[in-house]
Amino acid sequence: MIELIIGLLATTMATSTVLILASIGETIVERGGLLNLSIEGTMLIGAFLGFLGAYFTGNLWLGLLMAIIGGIITTLIFGLLVVKLNLNQVISGLAINLLTYGLCLYFFRYTFSQGAMPYLKELIYPLPIPFLSQIPIIGPILFNQTIFVYIALISAPFIYYLLFRTSFGLKLRAIGEDPSIAYRLGINVNKIRYMALILEGILVGMAGGMLCLSMFNVFDVRITGAKGFIAISIVILGRWNPIGALGGAIIFGFTEALSLWVGTLIIGPLSASMSQLLSTLPYSVAIIALLIGGRRAKGPAGLGSPFLKE
Amino acid sequence: MTNSSSFSNNIVLCVKDIKKVYPNGVVANDGVSFSLLKGEIHSILGENGAGKTTLIKIITGCITPDSGEIYVHGNRVNINSPMDAINLKIGVIHQHFTLIPSLTVAENIALSLPLNFSLDLENIKKKIRDIAKSINLEINPDAKIEELSVGLRQRVEIIKILCQDAEILIFDEPTSVLTPLEVKKLFSMIRELKSRGKSIILITHKVKEALSISDRITIMRRGRIIKTLTPSETNEDELAFLIVGDVRPSFIARESNPGEPLLIVKNLKVLGDRKEIAVNGVSFFIRSGEIVGIAGVAGNGQKELVEALTGLRRVESGSIIFKGMDLTNKSPRFIIRSGIAYIPEDRIRRGVIPNLSVAENLILKSFDSPPYSRSMIMNRNIIESFAQNLINIFGIVTPNSQIAVRNLSGGNIQKLIVARELSNHANVLIAENPSAGLDVRSTETLHQMLSDLRSKGIGILLISADLDEILKLSDRVLIMFNGRIVGELDRNNIDMNKVAKLMLGAT
Amino acid sequence: MMEFYKSLYRALLAIAISFAITSILFVLTGANPFLAYYYIFFGAFGDLLLITETFVRATPILLVSLGLAISFKCKVWNIGAEGQLYIGAMIGTLAALSMGESSLTLLISILFAILGGAAWASIPAFMKARLGINEVITTFLMNYVAINLIQWLLAFPLKSPETLFPESARIPSSAIFPIIINHTRFHLGILISFLIILPLMYFLMMKTTFGFKVKAVGENPEAARYGGINVGRTIFIALVISGALAGMAGFFEVSGIQYRMRPTISPGYGYTGIVIALLGQNNPIGIAFASIFIAAIINGSSTMSRMLNQPQGIVDFIQGVLIIMILLSDMILRYLEKKELILR
Repeated sequence: MIELIIGLLATTMATSTVLILASIGETIVERGGLLNLSIEGTMLIGAFLGFLGAYFTGNLWLGLLMAIIGGIITTLIFGLLVVKLNLNQVISGLAINLLTYGLCLYFFRYTFSQGAMPYLKELIYPLPIPFLSQIPIIGPILFNQTIFVYIALISAPFIYYLLFRTSFGLKLRAIGEDPSIAYRLGINVNKIRYMALILEGILVGMAGGMLCLSMFNVFDVRITGAKGFIAISIVILGRWNPIGALGGAIIFGFTEALSLWVGTLIIGPLSASMSQLLSTLPYSVAIIALLIGGRRAKGPAGLGSPFLKE
Repeated sequence: MTNSSSFSNNIVLCVKDIKKVYPNGVVANDGVSFSLLKGEIHSILGENGAGKTTLIKIITGCITPDSGEIYVHGNRVNINSPMDAINLKIGVIHQHFTLIPSLTVAENIALSLPLNFSLDLENIKKKIRDIAKSINLEINPDAKIEELSVGLRQRVEIIKILCQDAEILIFDEPTSVLTPLEVKKLFSMIRELKSRGKSIILITHKVKEALSISDRITIMRRGRIIKTLTPSETNEDELAFLIVGDVRPSFIARESNPGEPLLIVKNLKVLGDRKEIAVNGVSFFIRSGEIVGIAGVAGNGQKELVEALTGLRRVESGSIIFKGMDLTNKSPRFIIRSGIAYIPEDRIRRGVIPNLSVAENLILKSFDSPPYSRSMIMNRNIIESFAQNLINIFGIVTPNSQIAVRNLSGGNIQKLIVARELSNHANVLIAENPSAGLDVRSTETLHQMLSDLRSKGIGILLISADLDEILKLSDRVLIMFNGRIVGELDRNNIDMNKVAKLMLGAT
Repeated sequence: MMEFYKSLYRALLAIAISFAITSILFVLTGANPFLAYYYIFFGAFGDLLLITETFVRATPILLVSLGLAISFKCKVWNIGAEGQLYIGAMIGTLAALSMGESSLTLLISILFAILGGAAWASIPAFMKARLGINEVITTFLMNYVAINLIQWLLAFPLKSPETLFPESARIPSSAIFPIIINHTRFHLGILISFLIILPLMYFLMMKTTFGFKVKAVGENPEAARYGGINVGRTIFIALVISGALAGMAGFFEVSGIQYRMRPTISPGYGYTGIVIALLGQNNPIGIAFASIFIAAIINGSSTMSRMLNQPQGIVDFIQGVLIIMILLSDMILRYLEKKELILR
């Protein structure tokens, strides 16, 4: 039994990681006052380019690099629309989601028009940390994981430091509260917002890359399955704090791991039915969590509103 | 010759022939030239819309002029961003503070300083304490701005620009939000800064202030510089005349003849945005045919009181009785229909819907009652003739009733709001800083309108941060401090000193 | 009138630029863009059958986007029409199946579909209006709850015993819309949508006090509240109406086309509706034309894909570009006016 629970928690860490990376990335830009719904499309581009890169070069790390570059490009396009051109953030985000969905579908079908479903021959495997991975219980859960898990766990305190202990973070938070005051204070609002978007691009691109390079060895345009939007819910529930996001993401990762776990546990005719039904779990949990925990959430005062100089 | 060269050596800031036309066609600065001497206090005096704020925005890099030159210490400079101005040691205390409420004093000041990547707040706190000490101020660097009073926030602004080593200090209407005592403190602080060799520009529309503190006074009118004078060679009347350009239309107040009480407020308790007690047991009444003024420094519960009276904010305890009807915690719609009209201070955010047409804004409070609509269906023709009628009666300057309100001038938007509020046949009118942002002429028109309404038997509650306005119009003056009514004075025996003291909470 | 022409300009400009950008994709993959657009046009309007198919496709999009328009006008960004459509279709189907053959089956099923979509939308509407929780996130997440739930329902408890696929039993024939044009799929639901629902929504949005409230709340909620409008209630109703119309669209697909509830009933009409509400600039007449336009693109694209051996995905891409171009169109128009390239 204890083995099963350790297995469940180890899976939780893996499923959480995508959400940790994405929600921390989103936390950064939302602290700067931008509501980036295109996180879903950013993740998809990460997954797609990660898959393409790894498939054609045969090198998973080159795939990961492609995923990160793809993530950065996508968030910068969002930046072009909402920072440079000052367009509606919600609609621009949705537009990029549709656009990236179309692009990935189109080029995936174009590249692999005939033949069997393409797949990667290997995945990025866990990298046990010497000694630490030997610790009972904690070892297999925390220290026998892929590099993504380690990066995600480190990024939470790192981004916390960035937001609350550096001048960059202070400026970013000021922009998020009131961009026009920040501008009048002589802060380069656009530059700092672009920097935040690049950071988000790296983290979310990586999250997308992880889907194809470490979790599944195939690509499908539905691979992100609203994980970007769940990440946005986590940002709210974590009160725009990277440590809060880390906690929230682990809870959601757990519900996802649970539905996978139950699927493997129950044998017989009920199994398929149960796991199908449980697939609604993360989404339902997100809505119920928002219903309970979202009501007093007070985000950055300028979140989502346009910034016009004079 | 030597004299003039030493004069020009003394010029720390000089602007030449500045022109600025806004995209909407308003000529804000029309060939403005102006110079500031080292160590002087130089007031720029003019009414709202004279172009003072535009000039300051140009000097501080918030907007760029269409043409003209700026010299600092005799060198031609380009100021394209607020950062450029800071680097030239020009600091400004804006009328609307540039502080982020949710951050601390130290964090706010840090934002305006050159910083290392790793944030050393301790060092900044030390600098704040040192500077505060040097000009005899007390400030807690760890306090959040949202917890500070307006006067304290202004101090934070002053310390902030001193932390930036500013040599040229610009105060944009610094007294508009202060109590008389705070104004005194501010002025002694400004003199202190002058004695330390700082050069100071004071933007104001108050003649007395300019006379009392300035070394020189420059008058602006309609985007142009009219004249520069020293206080010794002029007087109040001349300045007032120069500001307006002609004689002010005289305002006729008729004798008051109050009737029965219309609105009776008892023991009202209301919470503010941060759940603090904003209105703490306020009681008063308004009779028909009188204007009751509420004087007080902004932020002493006036806003919350008005919102409670109009149904926009919950009443915790106490009662609001209007013509025998209980209005406590009724919906805004119910209160509007009972006959209470309200002219809000924030016209653009609360008073109108800028993207809707003049006609639609005129029926904002009556669209769902006959004859404008019946069983949910709007009658376009009746609405149109109703709007046309109000446009004519109130002299709203607009090409037609279908144009979006955002195209109207501030004064015309205010006329529109007044027209709408009065078209509902209200018995009580609540006017919240109704002349804020209006030019002299529009203000006079408005005051005349309020006075005429009083003659027609309407009860008016006038809330204003401008004491002059209150004293000019009110039959009775209530003074509000810290959520309470701390004094009531009759029109006929008003002692300015007493009012000023009461506004600060003294008894 | 001026406003009307401006809106038209904006829409046409957005479409033209989107076509130009999409051409790049065609060129990259070795297809002739002119030929591609020719095939798209041909595939949509080539003969009577193709034209009726374009209307078949336009109908659910029209219903969804009419609903979304009212919510968007209120600045409530409902992106959950897809889920609301599925729930409406499912509830409508269940109603039809449990009623059996009767003269009222169709009417009552439609009513239940409307209620289903409205009820599903009322959850995020409540969260938005009462608790201030961002509706974009909740409506989108609820799509996944709805679709996963329906997949489960159709795969297990409600699976039709006669077929191998995850789908419901066939609805009674009295719940099926009659065909209007023989040998096509042009059904009564299409006429109802264009001739009854469209004018009704136009009337609601343009002529009633509710339409005025929606506009006021969308443009300035603070002033609307000050004017005596119940902002929360207006937001709630606007979102629920958009859910109701999405639900109706879902059951119209069952009753007019599929005759069964299937987990593939919508290829993303809920999302296309967003594009169309924006392209039609929340004006019901504009939306009607925009629906037919996008339906033509969708249908024509499949012909074009076949003829030019192009992969799928073009349609989603065009939609994404279209949204951005609509947002940009104001800026572009202003630029053109400044350069005096077009008459004012």
